[in-house]
Amino acid sequence: MAIPILKLGDYLIASIQSALTDADLTRLQDDLARQVGDLRSRGVIVDVTAAEVMDSFTIRTLLDIAHVGKLRGADTVIVGLKPEVAFAMVQLGLRLDGVATGLDLEEGLAILGHVREPTDGG
Amino acid sequence: MASTAVQTDGHRPPDLTSGERRALEDLWRVYGAHYDEITEETKVALADDPEFGPLIRSIPEAVLEEQSRTSKELLRRALMEGDWQPYFADLLQQGAGYARMGLSFASWFRALSVVRPMITRRLREAFGAEPDRLLSVMDAMGKWFDSTMGVIGDAYLSAKQETILEQQEAIRELSTPVLTLMDGLLLLPVVGVIDSHRARQMTDQLLQAIHQYRAKVVVIDITGVAAVDSMVANHLLQAVEAAGLLGAAAIVTGVSAEVAQTVVKIGVDLSRLRTVGDLRGGLAEAMRLVGFRLGKAESAAD
Repeated sequence: MAIPILKLGDYLIASIQSALTDADLTRLQDDLARQVGDLRSRGVIVDVTAAEVMDSFTIRTLLDIAHVGKLRGADTVIVGLKPEVAFAMVQLGLRLDGVATGLDLEEGLAILGHVREPTDGG
Repeated sequence: MASTAVQTDGHRPPDLTSGERRALEDLWRVYGAHYDEITEETKVALADDPEFGPLIRSIPEAVLEEQSRTSKELLRRALMEGDWQPYFADLLQQGAGYARMGLSFASWFRALSVVRPMITRRLREAFGAEPDRLLSVMDAMGKWFDSTMGVIGDAYLSAKQETILEQQEAIRELSTPVLTLMDGLLLLPVVGVIDSHRARQMTDQLLQAIHQYRAKVVVIDITGVAAVDSMVANHLLQAVEAAGLLGAAAIVTGVSAEVAQTVVKIGVDLSRLRTVGDLRGGLAEAMRLVGFRLGKAESAAD
């Protein structure tokens, strides 16, 4: 099942569902890598609100997406991690080092908006 | 709760030989005949007892009588028919009740030492002519008393255990509040000892609060944490990382000199934590991050 990628202005948005196979994830990674270049996107938001579980492969793919995106000129934000999922991740030692995370899509957009103009107290 | 409480079910009836069983029947024939009399005498004898006196006076006469009747029947079934379970169950319930009323365990032995001679006297009157029979009845009585006190002791232990569990629960709930200071800014003051259970609960509450209040920054103040070992440090790291995954930056404040020394000595790497000396500094930093500025109001400066 292909994961739909939505375009919103300069950003790409993809939403991950829980019942994804490894192949689906790899395909998402490929699609995003291509579209970031095609659409000259500045940011990618991967929304994982619907994911009840995050296994190590998913995490690694997310990290890869972020790194690939960076090389193609787009910042990546992971949004929508549930408290339980976040807790389970740190307990298992799974990290999203170097990738921005946000509470939800709205936060994700705000983070991307601020990446090039950092908050200065207002 | 039940799993950690002292096991109180499964009290086995005392192991009895047929001789002992006969002796217990003898015992009941004498005790049963004088039961009400002995109960009355006991009440009188314990009236001046500092613990039993007020207790006996506080319970209505009718309730005492009812209880005495029930106990008598249960005891008869235990001694005569070997049906101990209902008797033990009743003892457990009574023991737990008295434990909650604050009656000390030692006082049960005082009561026992009052009742025992009363029964002994009547046994001697009944079996004085047959020393062997008297002796075996006395032995059987000892067995009966021993198992009784065992059951009551268990009732006390489990009542205490329940109290401890309730208090632990209360302490846990009290000890991990997550406070919202302003939009997007949470404060988690940690006080006391952190064990894994508490750390887990703390992190859990923190994450829920971040989600609920859409917090951008959390300040974790550990001024009230007396000691930090590698486990506690690890829990702290996990809480901070998990908060980070939800998009909230965490600032740890209040690391005391001793705690800092220990952490360095045991070689835990806390460099991934953003630490600020005291809560005041931490809050200032946190407010800077969420975009607030704290200062005196203009009118107050005038």
